[in-house]
Amino acid sequence: MSEVLLVDSVLLLLVTVCAVAIIEVRSLYAVAMLTSVYSLLMALVWTNMHSMDVAFTEAAVGGGISTILLIGTLVHTRRDEKPAKKRLHVPALLVTILTGAALIYGTFDMPRFGDPNATIHHYRVPEMMAQNVGFVSQRAGKQTPPEGFVPPPRMVPTIPKADPHHGEHAEAEHHEEGGHHKHPADDFNGHVPNSVTSLLAAYRGYDTMFETTVIFTAGISLILLLRRRRDDEPQAGETLRGQVILRVMTKMFIPFILVFGFYVITHGEIGPGGGFQGGVILATAFILYALIYGRNALFRIIQPKVLDVLAAVGVLLYAGVGVACLLLGGKFLDYSALNTASPGDGEALGMTLVEYGVGITVCTVMIIIFNQLAEQAEAKAS
Amino acid sequence: MTELLGIYNYWIYIILMMIGFYGVIAKMNLIKQAIALGLFQTGIFLFYISMAVVDGGTAPIWTTIGDGSVKALGPYDNPLPHVLILTAIVVSVSVLAVALAIIINIKRAYGTIEYDEIQRLEGDDDA
Repeated sequence: MSEVLLVDSVLLLLVTVCAVAIIEVRSLYAVAMLTSVYSLLMALVWTNMHSMDVAFTEAAVGGGISTILLIGTLVHTRRDEKPAKKRLHVPALLVTILTGAALIYGTFDMPRFGDPNATIHHYRVPEMMAQNVGFVSQRAGKQTPPEGFVPPPRMVPTIPKADPHHGEHAEAEHHEEGGHHKHPADDFNGHVPNSVTSLLAAYRGYDTMFETTVIFTAGISLILLLRRRRDDEPQAGETLRGQVILRVMTKMFIPFILVFGFYVITHGEIGPGGGFQGGVILATAFILYALIYGRNALFRIIQPKVLDVLAAVGVLLYAGVGVACLLLGGKFLDYSALNTASPGDGEALGMTLVEYGVGITVCTVMIIIFNQLAEQAEAKAS
Repeated sequence: MTELLGIYNYWIYIILMMIGFYGVIAKMNLIKQAIALGLFQTGIFLFYISMAVVDGGTAPIWTTIGDGSVKALGPYDNPLPHVLILTAIVVSVSVLAVALAIIINIKRAYGTIEYDEIQRLEGDDDA
């Protein structure tokens, strides 16, 4: 039994208990807090399964933003769930148990946890992991691999499972490879170290672009659903400015949050992180400021109109990079066209721009969403 | 025993999904329903990420050794499900936000966020 599975089983038990509590607890404020706990536990589960980027996103989004959104909603709905007549809804329970049983029956055909021979690890994934940008696949006609080109090491362990020293084996093998045939593709030029980002921006570039559009649409929906007409100036709601500790600590934290947010966006290709995570982190800095100093103080820094425009600018930046690739003779979102002399650099440039596009949209939409919910709350209070 | 442990994650994902499913069906409070839908989503996230794990694998991030050449740290987990779920999480918070905005409007129109009360206010046409 691997250590991953050991930690995993304990964490998942906690998660399940938490999920039951979320459904059963009647105080909705408690539920909001429990969802935060649930998300942080989930972030640990993802980390345990080596899914750093997902853990990052879960911690920032689930632990941070969605809790704020829930509490923002609870202010102007009700605090408690109405007590139900019956504690247990028997038909619903029957339906769920039946569905669950059918699904569990299906799991017996699933590959075992961590099985390196599972289909999912072999269909197309080795090719994508090799990501020899500029040298393979679509652009093969234009660019021939240099003499002695060896694709970088692959992800999927081709080493037999029974071999207890397979780790060292693989290392020695690749080391030799790297040492022998050194060429640009082995460098970070033409190879984005974080495979998650590389897949996100390149292989699944269209998908990511439209996910960004979905987020943008959510921002617009919130504006349409909740924005009041601008005849009266937004009222100054009660702020926490009087709390000295909160005020001072906020001012100390915000610069670090901002720097960290930009770091996460910019270093998306090298380490865990990227536009989605960085955008959310940047947004938390603004939301924290608005929570402590009031929304009017936030508007002195950044106008709501500017936010609306920036949300669109992010999506446009992403699509614009795609169009630029087209104009330079490549395919849509084929970043290597951005720098024909060094496709790897073009790739890195394209991905960074795209990540910034995602970051801008995610950040501004999160602030817009917060802003709309808070506006409602203030309108109710006055 | 190890056979069963090998599909433990899939069972938990089903249990989480079903808890969410139960919440969506059985709970009358609209905010509870929105949260339950979120639980359902995390169940699916867990399913995807569990499939990505490779025995002895590490995070799919490459590194370089001294001379700048790429070094593999051994087998890697499959990055593709990570990509899918990473974007799905951010989309799920957008979905939650829109749902909450609609709930606020419902509260404004009906004065309640309990589904059965809304139905009663709507008249007994479908009852």
